[in-house]
Amino acid sequence: MPLKPVLTKDFAMENLEQLAVYERAGGYTGFKKALEMQPDQLVEMVKASGLRGRGGAGFPTGNKWSFLPKGVYPRYLVCNADESEPGTFKDRYLIEKSPHQVLEGILIGSYAIGCNLAFIYIRGEYLPQHEALETAIDEARQAGYLGKNVLGKGYDIDIILHRGAGAYICGEETALLTSLEGYRGEPRLKPPFPAIKGLYGKPTVVNNVETVANLPHIVNNGAQWFKAIGTPTGAGTRVWCMSGHVNRPGNYEVENGTPIRELIEEHGGGVWKNRKLKAFQPGGASMMVLLPEHLDVGLDFDAIAKAGSLAGAGGMMVMDETTCMVDAARRFVKFFHHESCGKCTPCREGTFWMANLFDRFEGGEAREADIDLLLEIGYNIDGRSFCPLGDASTWFPRSVIKFFRDEFLEHVSEKGCPFKKPAVEAVA
Amino acid sequence: MPLARATVQRIQELAARYPSKQSAIIPALWAAQDEQGYVTDTAMQEIAQHLGLPASLIEATASFYSMFLSKPEGRHDMVICVNAPCMLRGADDMVTYLERQLRVRDGATTADGAITWHSTIECLGACGGAPMMQVDHRFEENLTPERIDAIIERLRKEPAIHRAPGKKADAAAPSAAPASMQVAPPRVTEPAAGPPEPVKRKAAPRRKRSET
Amino acid sequence: MAAVQTEQVNLTINGQSVTVPKGTLILDAAKAIGIDIPIFCSHPKMAPVAVCRMCLVEVEKMPKLQPACAVYVAEGMAVRTMTDQVNKYQKGVLEFLLINHPLDCPICDKGGECPLQDQTYQYGPGASRYDFEKAHFDKAVPLSDKIVLDRERCILCWRCTRFSEEISGERELALIQRGVHTIIGTFNDEPATSNYQGNWTEICPVGALTSRQYRFISRPWDLDRTASVCPGCSMGCNIQIDARHNKIGRFQSRENVAVDDSWLCDRGRFSFPNFQRKDQERPMIRRNGAVEEVSFDEAIAFTADALKQAGGQVAGWASPADTNEEMFLFRRLFREVLKSPHLDHREGSVPDTDPDDMTLPIADIERLDHAIVLGGQDVIDAAPVLHLRLFKSQRKGVNVLKVAAGDGKQALDIVPAEALAVGVLATEANKKAAMDLQDKLQQKVKGSVRRLIVTTGPNGRGAKDLGILPHFAPGYASLNGQPGKGRVDWPGAALKALYVHESSPLNAFSPSDAESMWLPKLPLLVFHRFKPSPVDAMAHVIIPGHAFTEKTGTVTNMEGRPQRILDAIDAAWIREDWRVFMAIANKLGADWRYDSVSDITADLVGALPAYAALNHGERVRWGERS
Repeated sequence: MPLKPVLTKDFAMENLEQLAVYERAGGYTGFKKALEMQPDQLVEMVKASGLRGRGGAGFPTGNKWSFLPKGVYPRYLVCNADESEPGTFKDRYLIEKSPHQVLEGILIGSYAIGCNLAFIYIRGEYLPQHEALETAIDEARQAGYLGKNVLGKGYDIDIILHRGAGAYICGEETALLTSLEGYRGEPRLKPPFPAIKGLYGKPTVVNNVETVANLPHIVNNGAQWFKAIGTPTGAGTRVWCMSGHVNRPGNYEVENGTPIRELIEEHGGGVWKNRKLKAFQPGGASMMVLLPEHLDVGLDFDAIAKAGSLAGAGGMMVMDETTCMVDAARRFVKFFHHESCGKCTPCREGTFWMANLFDRFEGGEAREADIDLLLEIGYNIDGRSFCPLGDASTWFPRSVIKFFRDEFLEHVSEKGCPFKKPAVEAVA
Repeated sequence: MPLARATVQRIQELAARYPSKQSAIIPALWAAQDEQGYVTDTAMQEIAQHLGLPASLIEATASFYSMFLSKPEGRHDMVICVNAPCMLRGADDMVTYLERQLRVRDGATTADGAITWHSTIECLGACGGAPMMQVDHRFEENLTPERIDAIIERLRKEPAIHRAPGKKADAAAPSAAPASMQVAPPRVTEPAAGPPEPVKRKAAPRRKRSET
Repeated sequence: MAAVQTEQVNLTINGQSVTVPKGTLILDAAKAIGIDIPIFCSHPKMAPVAVCRMCLVEVEKMPKLQPACAVYVAEGMAVRTMTDQVNKYQKGVLEFLLINHPLDCPICDKGGECPLQDQTYQYGPGASRYDFEKAHFDKAVPLSDKIVLDRERCILCWRCTRFSEEISGERELALIQRGVHTIIGTFNDEPATSNYQGNWTEICPVGALTSRQYRFISRPWDLDRTASVCPGCSMGCNIQIDARHNKIGRFQSRENVAVDDSWLCDRGRFSFPNFQRKDQERPMIRRNGAVEEVSFDEAIAFTADALKQAGGQVAGWASPADTNEEMFLFRRLFREVLKSPHLDHREGSVPDTDPDDMTLPIADIERLDHAIVLGGQDVIDAAPVLHLRLFKSQRKGVNVLKVAAGDGKQALDIVPAEALAVGVLATEANKKAAMDLQDKLQQKVKGSVRRLIVTTGPNGRGAKDLGILPHFAPGYASLNGQPGKGRVDWPGAALKALYVHESSPLNAFSPSDAESMWLPKLPLLVFHRFKPSPVDAMAHVIIPGHAFTEKTGTVTNMEGRPQRILDAIDAAWIREDWRVFMAIANKLGADWRYDSVSDITADLVGALPAYAALNHGERVRWGERS
């Protein structure tokens, strides 16, 4: 199946990041069209399109919008550009290549929910992307897409671009709002949900970059057009971030439901160095590992969930036969330990403990009992943490223990990593 | 050292821009760090004053985010990712190579004050171009020893790059690292593995990137 | 006002049915039927945060365990707190909390009253599977001159930081760093300046925040605990005096929702060293310039004789830290026996007092629309725990206006005519301005305007109620006959004797310049006091008395609430102060027959029926409009 790009179809155009080029490619017609509609119609349209959030949880976007309480203003739309899930880099790509597409999506979403001040929360590490958005916002403002009474339609909208400063947790929507309010990026209790009490205690919608980037296309082509792409419960396309042991890592936008095999073998050019596939991980660092036997699963929220993992934020990390699965899990566990905000006990202490245990496996001092101890710790974190970050810190390592317990045992019996390459010197 | 007038002005603009002045804390910390190279205690107190908030709140926020520095660094900042996607494509070897070339350990500054390097477990969002690093917050992907050499050579010559996004008018070059920072024992070790250093807190730098 | 009908919710906890008002947390519903759910971060005075995860319980139809401290009850909810899953998880979370906790309980001041220790015994695992080095943090950090912080013991429950934000509003303590590196501290570890730091030690569920004064002083099981009232000011905060070997170890708070809302200020809490007794003393008499130790009986006989010779030209000063019972007798001694109207309890001269000074009860501040703090910080300085009540009120939506004493007009302009409940708070010094403002406000606004005047000393209000004033009879009644002279007028009043009774170094008799000139020339100075002071040198008779913390009786706070104090420290070799008063009176011809303090209390209530309030824990009402 060839790629069926929606978001990235014009990405080959030179200087697409410039307003004039974006407009030549049909940019901002979606926003203009939206302004001719009633906000409620737009909400209904997005509901009918079947668009689900691309940030990780896959919640239907239109439904999220319709949870806002009637008559409570101001209300805010916050675009989540804090993409920090290891193994994902699609939002960065979408912003870099076509910042106006993101802005247009934000404008449409804001108009639909009745918001006059929107925010983009971009992770601190994305400095070039921050600059791209900053330039695009200036251009859009000058062209009259932003500001008071935009395009003479009596609608006021402005966007504040807000730069984070290094904290994975801020990708979690309530932590993002706390951070945007200037505090430490710690997640908040739900309920109340952001739709009821979000930013500054006001009704707030948080949408991912890729989610909003779909909006201009839905408005331009209609809900039915969008719904026809992909699978019945997973309309549209997704941008998958391929990394690891493939010949052509990078971003690939494919129709939902496309088999994983096609993504890895055709678009990614297959496993590198003619090696065999050992495992892969969809979704990003949080998600459970899958095996070659799952290659024919479709790239779709529900299908991947059925296979025992999650589509998450659209990562696709490929691991060949030489991969040390223990070390792969160790990196992610150390990541979660590093990024734990420290608010709740299970995540703060549990990830610290797991990280110590994984180091012990790599260091060759682990005992067999440590494997089950890891599972026990995971049991006491998963479902007990304050926010999904804690829960997710256990999913990949536990799935790796499930499928690759042998490798842990080898680390014990061989007193170290059996995959360790002697190649370090050769690099220099 | 007090903040430059232009930085203070920027902080005041920021405070007026958001529906709540507290939202200006992170942008204000950026402004201070962009001017002075790191976030000083004085800067936090000044920010507190300009935003009408207790200083403890500013430190609480500043210390939470890994990109705010609590001590001065070299003219250039190199951060190399060692998370799993990069690990799969040889990041560990690049770290070893980088350490050998720079002749200072992870988290330290080269003797000439040109470069401070860190390895990080925090994914920087360029797994498709792994192994990768960020140099002064710009992406350098598909690293090879040759590319690393070229980057180091360039950085040794270049003056400090002002890192502020957008409004760059109030730039001032960060000062070079003081001599005490220039830890230079040439040490080449296998990164990662082995039991970690016990966690030690207080007076520990706010930045925790050096943890691998 | 019609009672608001609260919707009731029915649920079961461990199969037991319970009905509670809507908006109740699972934790509180369980508590109502005696089911204990372990907690660390949850605190009844603070908003739920659900960070420690200790209280997770099973709730039917919810896939994950739920924090009982943050989930509200719902109709038909079925909660289970004792299942295998919950028990296993409780062991797990305690194991997590302990991996980086030093377990230095044997040298920790909290040991024996530590929720972490207690809950580990009750719910925790017997042993830890954690066998790495623990994370290390700074220990024994001097957070201020009052508090020591042990960062290793901290379990990051956020209670102290939330106190700093939600209760005192000072936001002085904050969380610094993140993840397992997170610590609590002040900005740059500068010394904390809050006046409410002692509360941090009480709410800390581990030994992270402890009092420097109490450091290594005692084990909690070695303490004798006595319920009393804080001698610090006229707020009347309830305290528990913890003593070991007849020596005070600390003052702890004792919740009285109407008064202190479970908090103390540091000035009061850490004031106890003032009440430590050093030596066993005997009464002393100065004869021909020489001082000699005598028995109580001799001192009493000498005093009675000397007072008789003064022939009514005698003044009496009772400190505003004396009990109502002492004051009742002191007044009777002067009016009935010595026939002298020259009574006072004040430092200097303050405007007339009246019952309307306390029409605004402390707890009612929360129910005002506007609370005007006339004199601003002066009022807080006079009664620091008022700040916590004002801040709480502010968070509930009360408009708290702090204005300088001379700026009443400013407040008058701000308060709108439709205001329904307005309060004015001021110190005694600013009482005139407060009354003036109250009058003007009353003319402007639709609703009520009440005032609360902060008195001096833990029983300044009782002194006024009981007529330790030259111009009032008890209960603010007019005097029969001539008013006496107040303290400021005594030096020029041709008096022959002065009897000073003092119970607290915090409310000592400190001679003014004029008094310092006058006292050496006075023929008789009887000094009946707890602690030696410079006044000793001028006294003809020194009678040792009991300290505030050594006596039993009642004291009345600024809002007119009489509360009991009990003797926490045994100083039985000293004759009780009231017995001394009685003995002197009887020597001078009276026939008092009190056997105990409660006899006096009963007599007092008989003479002043409004004081029956003390038997119900209520405020004394002098026919005020309510």
